[in-house]
Amino acid sequence: MIFLKSFFSREVLIYSKKSSNVIGPVIFFLICIAFFPLAISNDPNELSRLAPGLIWICILLAGMLSIQTIFKEDYDDGSLDLFYVRRFSMLQVVLIKIFVNWIFTALPLILLSCLMVFLLYFPLEKLLNLIGSLFIGTLIISFFGALAGALSLGRNSILASAIMLPLSLPVLILGSSASTYSSENITFFILLLLALLFFSVPIISIACIGAIRLHYE
Amino acid sequence: MNKILGAITLFYHKLGSYPWFYSISSKLLPISTILAFMIFLLGIVWGIFYSPSDVTQGEIYRIIYMHVPAASVAQSIYFSLAIAGFVYLVWKMKMAGLFIKAMAPIGASFTILALISGAIWGQPTWGTWWVWDARLTSTLVLLLFYLAIIGLYSSFDNKKSADQAVSILAMVGAVNLPIIKKSVDWWNTLHQPSSIRIFEESTISSEMLYPLLICILSFYLMVFVFGLMAMRTEIAKREMTKDWFKKMVEKND
Repeated sequence: MIFLKSFFSREVLIYSKKSSNVIGPVIFFLICIAFFPLAISNDPNELSRLAPGLIWICILLAGMLSIQTIFKEDYDDGSLDLFYVRRFSMLQVVLIKIFVNWIFTALPLILLSCLMVFLLYFPLEKLLNLIGSLFIGTLIISFFGALAGALSLGRNSILASAIMLPLSLPVLILGSSASTYSSENITFFILLLLALLFFSVPIISIACIGAIRLHYE
Repeated sequence: MNKILGAITLFYHKLGSYPWFYSISSKLLPISTILAFMIFLLGIVWGIFYSPSDVTQGEIYRIIYMHVPAASVAQSIYFSLAIAGFVYLVWKMKMAGLFIKAMAPIGASFTILALISGAIWGQPTWGTWWVWDARLTSTLVLLLFYLAIIGLYSSFDNKKSADQAVSILAMVGAVNLPIIKKSVDWWNTLHQPSSIRIFEESTISSEMLYPLLICILSFYLMVFVFGLMAMRTEIAKREMTKDWFKKMVEKND
């Protein structure tokens, strides 16, 4: 328990000291969102129709930026080596790192998505659906991103995205459907997203540990 | 019973040895190449010249004899990669890692073949080269998985880490593929339902079905041949400096 607490506060400290990891995805997300009206059309009707998909795409792309930060810095400065050598519980390390990464990189984006009611004319009555699906969806994306980051430690970031994007396809489909369709169907998609989350947490964490281990063999 | 189990275990352990595989595959290769070529020729000639033309699609449907086998093979190869990944991670059998390395480009090629032949087929029948339909999309995602595996493998210098990394990715991808398939089903639009059913009666006439089945069989044999060749090449690359390999090469010369 003490380990959990101290490791958690260590992670939080790192993110609060190095704010570029937090601000980077936010700026990227806003720029991405701003591109769509410029490139497609500024017609409010069309934008509000496209908004759920656009928000989800931008969230996914911004998530791609942050996957590099989950393990890479600890790998580069050698802390990950120490966690491994000191026989820390890798499961706890992986879970805490993913969760703290989610708090600092995905949560701001979810809050920012509320702004899309004004920027992309996202229909207000569906905002709750969007936020709910984003909460679950970004968690799943964080897990897939962690796996991609762990597999491609010390390698180029294109590779990590190439691994992560096909994996997160179901999240994109279910999430954007959950925020597009009317409220009768929403529980169906939210439940599917939840199922996917509970399904991927154990599998991806174990795969992550395996992926980290292979860098030390 | 014990004897059979023992034989299987022995075969499994032998499968893990490079020299044994290299020598047995050099015996298998010529036979299976001839067999694959003959069966392919039989299926294709039967399909193109001797099977009846389709009522609605006319002659264009004959591309089915390339398209369906390629798509079927592409999916099966991915499935086999996942099994190999499991074997590698659980029993650390080095041949399984080598298998993934050798088969991934073959699987990617057959996926591309399936996509292209599907597009050529779709143009006259649906009036469009590409549709964002469930099966087309999941085949495209399958291609992305293959490319990710190839890319991940090539980013490692150490073969052992590379084998382990692609094993993990192949397994996670295989777990995810059915989910992707299901979730892509939402906009299942234009694609005709599957014609071959294993447990029900097929909707395809038997005069078309037999050449199709022969073509599918020949594609699997082709994959076997290509797989053997690719694995032999990879073994040669990895074991070039080993004594057994030098001896084997000298003996053959």
